[in-house]
Amino acid sequence: MTHMSILQARSIEKHFTEGRGESVAVLKGIDFAVERGEIVSLEGPSGSGKTTFLSILGCILTPTTGDVVVDGVRVEAKKLNAIRKKSLGFVFQQFNLFPSLTALENVEYALNVKGMRGSEARAEAERVIEAVGLGDRQAFLPRDLSGGQKQRVAIARALAGSAPILLADEPTANLDSVVGTQVLEMFRDLAKKENRALVIVTHDPKVRAVADRVVRIHDGRLAA
Amino acid sequence: MVDLATKSLLHDKLRFLITVSGVAFAVTLVFVQVGLFLGLMDNASLTISKIPAELWVTSHNTPNVDFAHTFPETYVKRVRSVPGVARADNLIVWFMNVNLPNGAVEGTEVYALEDFQRWGFPWNVAEGNLEDLRRGSYFFLDQSATKRYGEFKVGEYREILGRRLKIIGRTIDAKSFTTTPLTFLDYRVAQSLNPGDLRGNTTYILVKLAPGANVETVRAEIKRRLPFNDVYTQREWADRSRSYWVDSTGLGLNMYLTVFLGCLVGIVVVAQTLYTSTMEHIKEFGTVKAIGGGNGDIYKILGKHATIAAIAGFFLGALMAYAIRPLIYKIDLKLVIPNELAIAVFFGAIALCLAASMISFRKVASIDPALVFRG
Repeated sequence: MTHMSILQARSIEKHFTEGRGESVAVLKGIDFAVERGEIVSLEGPSGSGKTTFLSILGCILTPTTGDVVVDGVRVEAKKLNAIRKKSLGFVFQQFNLFPSLTALENVEYALNVKGMRGSEARAEAERVIEAVGLGDRQAFLPRDLSGGQKQRVAIARALAGSAPILLADEPTANLDSVVGTQVLEMFRDLAKKENRALVIVTHDPKVRAVADRVVRIHDGRLAA
Repeated sequence: MVDLATKSLLHDKLRFLITVSGVAFAVTLVFVQVGLFLGLMDNASLTISKIPAELWVTSHNTPNVDFAHTFPETYVKRVRSVPGVARADNLIVWFMNVNLPNGAVEGTEVYALEDFQRWGFPWNVAEGNLEDLRRGSYFFLDQSATKRYGEFKVGEYREILGRRLKIIGRTIDAKSFTTTPLTFLDYRVAQSLNPGDLRGNTTYILVKLAPGANVETVRAEIKRRLPFNDVYTQREWADRSRSYWVDSTGLGLNMYLTVFLGCLVGIVVVAQTLYTSTMEHIKEFGTVKAIGGGNGDIYKILGKHATIAAIAGFFLGALMAYAIRPLIYKIDLKLVIPNELAIAVFFGAIALCLAASMISFRKVASIDPALVFRG
């Protein structure tokens, strides 16, 4: 039986067309795989293509050529939403919480979008909010939370449900050093505990301490 | 289920207030314009609806109840002899001049019958006895005349076409489209005031049918006997009188234009605020897409924003319209807001707000969820 990684990318190329009609290759043939329970730090200089690659892994962009297989499903344009809903959780640099919803509601709404409703969604949201240590802040609006607490809510939102793959884009960029370390350690512990794959795009060297593997992108290619 | 739509709408209260105000303004404008129009139309056929005559005989091509033309009063005898007619009486409607105590001359619209009591007309008598009109040079004057004639009391005299007549009664709510005050006096007195036009003539014949009589059969027979007159049912005559004012004065066009502009302003305000709101929430919508939501989820949010704004705006607008109704009555106009209009405006407001949100729909469809990765 052939081993199947939870997330695989094969020969990924991505070209963008610039204003004058010129095609610019941002990704130039990347092969990549992540296993369940594995934490990968994806590093690289600005403009190297790591956020574009993360967008492709996250089924937000489609590659120009190459294949992505998420949780056994080959990604196609018409399946992007469904795959994101079922298999992926995101954590963003800017947190991207809904300002009109409380911490708990931010998590519960994500579950609603994924199809979970009512008391089941509420109970799951409470579970993950407790898990990220914000049980006493669940009724707070984002504006009343610190940066670290907002990122914990974002992590709770990504963890909510049963998405086997978590993708994080510079999750510590807007946090101070101490809070950033705390958030990373918490994120790692929860991902490991629940056997989820975690890909973190970062410039932050602290991420290396929690990662099982570091992958570097340079000029659109994986560096050795 | 977390109600992101309602919470995000109410999160920015000032924007919500601006959106609701835009809808409320449009709703008020529609209510006032259509309500005034309906009030004027109501006046245009008010007397027709208050006289219990199933058929009206008019001179040929009379355009409306106010602009009557004469024909021989003896025609009434031919009508009375038609099988199925229980009662037929002459009615004169005629404009005359009134000399006021201050020397001014104003117009009045005279309604003259031989027996007002029997026709239950005028319908709202505040002072006086209609039976007394037959006894001499007397008349009833409507309360609304005070605006043009100044205060008057029962027992005072006014000159109509140069002849002194005593005011012996006061009516309420008897109005015409022209806003000319209505006076009610005896049929023969009216003829004697303007013998040149009215001696031996009438302007209408009112027909009350016998129980069980077929209105079309009776009408056909009257038309056969009076081939140079027109015969209308009460509803047809009321419609014709109203249509005259709508078609000939541009009143209808004015109303439709104002309603259109009101709706347009409402749509523009709502579309603009919803679009601005969409642009400000674009990253949130991108997040909805990134976490697995589709365009449909965002359309639902925008649709709900539009619907809530429409409902809140409708009630605020209706409240404002009802609040200004007494002020409009004070200037002798009527604001008629029937339930059908309220229901139509309610659903119209929702439909227009949803239409306004379509502009945002287009923007949402083009949202790239990758924007959530941008700083």
